[in-house]
Amino acid sequence: MEEAQVVGLLVRRCVGGDAAAWEEIVQRCHRRIYNVCYRFAGDSENAQDLTQEVFIKMYRTLNTYDSGKGAFMTWVTAITRNLLVDHFRKSKGDRITDSLDSAPSEHEDAQPLSERIADRGLPPDAAVQSRETREMVHLALQKLSPELREAVILRDLQDMDYREIATALRVPEGTVKSRINRGRAELARLLQRTYRQVI
Amino acid sequence: MSGETKNGTPTPPGQNRAGRGPQVECAEFEALLSDALDGEGQLSPARRDSFEAHRRICAVCGPLFADAQAGRQWLRSLEAVEPPANLVHNILAATSGVVSTRPLAATRDGSAAPIGERAREWWDSFSASFFTPVAAFVRQPRFVMSFGMIFFSFSLALSAAGVKPKDVAKVSLRPAAIRHAYNDAQIRVVKYYDNIRFVYEIESKLRELKRANTPAEPGPAEQKENRKNNTSGQPDQRQDRNYSQEYNQPVLAALRAGAPITPVLGDGVGDAAPAVTVALTATTNRRFV
Repeated sequence: MEEAQVVGLLVRRCVGGDAAAWEEIVQRCHRRIYNVCYRFAGDSENAQDLTQEVFIKMYRTLNTYDSGKGAFMTWVTAITRNLLVDHFRKSKGDRITDSLDSAPSEHEDAQPLSERIADRGLPPDAAVQSRETREMVHLALQKLSPELREAVILRDLQDMDYREIATALRVPEGTVKSRINRGRAELARLLQRTYRQVI
Repeated sequence: MSGETKNGTPTPPGQNRAGRGPQVECAEFEALLSDALDGEGQLSPARRDSFEAHRRICAVCGPLFADAQAGRQWLRSLEAVEPPANLVHNILAATSGVVSTRPLAATRDGSAAPIGERAREWWDSFSASFFTPVAAFVRQPRFVMSFGMIFFSFSLALSAAGVKPKDVAKVSLRPAAIRHAYNDAQIRVVKYYDNIRFVYEIESKLRELKRANTPAEPGPAEQKENRKNNTSGQPDQRQDRNYSQEYNQPVLAALRAGAPITPVLGDGVGDAAPAVTVALTATTNRRFV
């Protein structure tokens, strides 16, 4: 039986009042949702609260899920994303990062970033091995604007394809690609600045 | 200008006519960037050549490609974090209220399951739909507080009444015993009520007020006459009160010369020789039961 069929069966059983089916859905989805929340919110405590809120909303609206409109995981991701955005607005932590369209600073040259980092003795392959670097990437991710952050999280951390992301975010696929590109590049620029300060 | 990109970057002469396909401009470069990095778009070789050519010569798109590539590498270096151990438990408690962690066979076909398994599933389903809302209501802090206060109040009242848990076990449930216990309890309550000083004082005051407002009653002879004439069949009312009032009337007694003074009780009103007036007042003593 395919994954979609299994999930569809679980959803039907759960809507019919089967507590065991609901527990199975929670077991299948909680890790993924928690990771999205953790990477978006930035800390474990908020991520736990948000994950619980996602499942509470899921539990209440499970009967509205229509398998014909998309995969179950896309539906769950859309719920997660909406709650994350709501949480972000409530916490008023909106921080819009510099646009990539702005003029490059005088410290930056036309050399590609990978080459610049290599020049400073911090090749990405070596740097990402360390725990400190991962923490730095995680912190830099929090500095991205919510639109860019959610796009790169879904693409690079959750391996969703463009169409699924477009469905979950309710934006055109071209917008998704643009946000992913800008998010990745912005993250690299933020890390580049951090490395400069450290060095 | 046909020889420049949108950003003004000059196109090397002859590049567009070198058989590499249509030239990629900056807007199109950004659209192809994610496909080129992720490999989802399946760029054709000719398209990729044009893309690479633009990346090398464009002062904006070249760094953009490098940044996006580096950002992608860093993002993909992030590992999945492990959720807290109690997360599933908390989620289930907050949603369905069922916190069992038994392993599930999600793909099992329900019709092929044995009767025991199906019965267990049915029971799980029933308990989830019936007991879960009740359990969720009982777990409300308001309900717990109210229940605690009621229990505390009952405990206090029972201990004040002298009820002990050991006595409850000895209670006989025979009708005669219950009737007997009821009568005993009633007597105890009446005794307790009558012996309250405040009640007693209030009753005395009321009695005095009634006495003061009641007009003088006819004499005993007239009362006897009235009793004889009374054909209503009703018993004499307030007999006890009249009894006390009879003895409250001042008694006038005649004292002859040299005779010893003897108090006269009862019908002394008829002996009219007012030499000495002895007023005797008979008081009633309250009978405490």
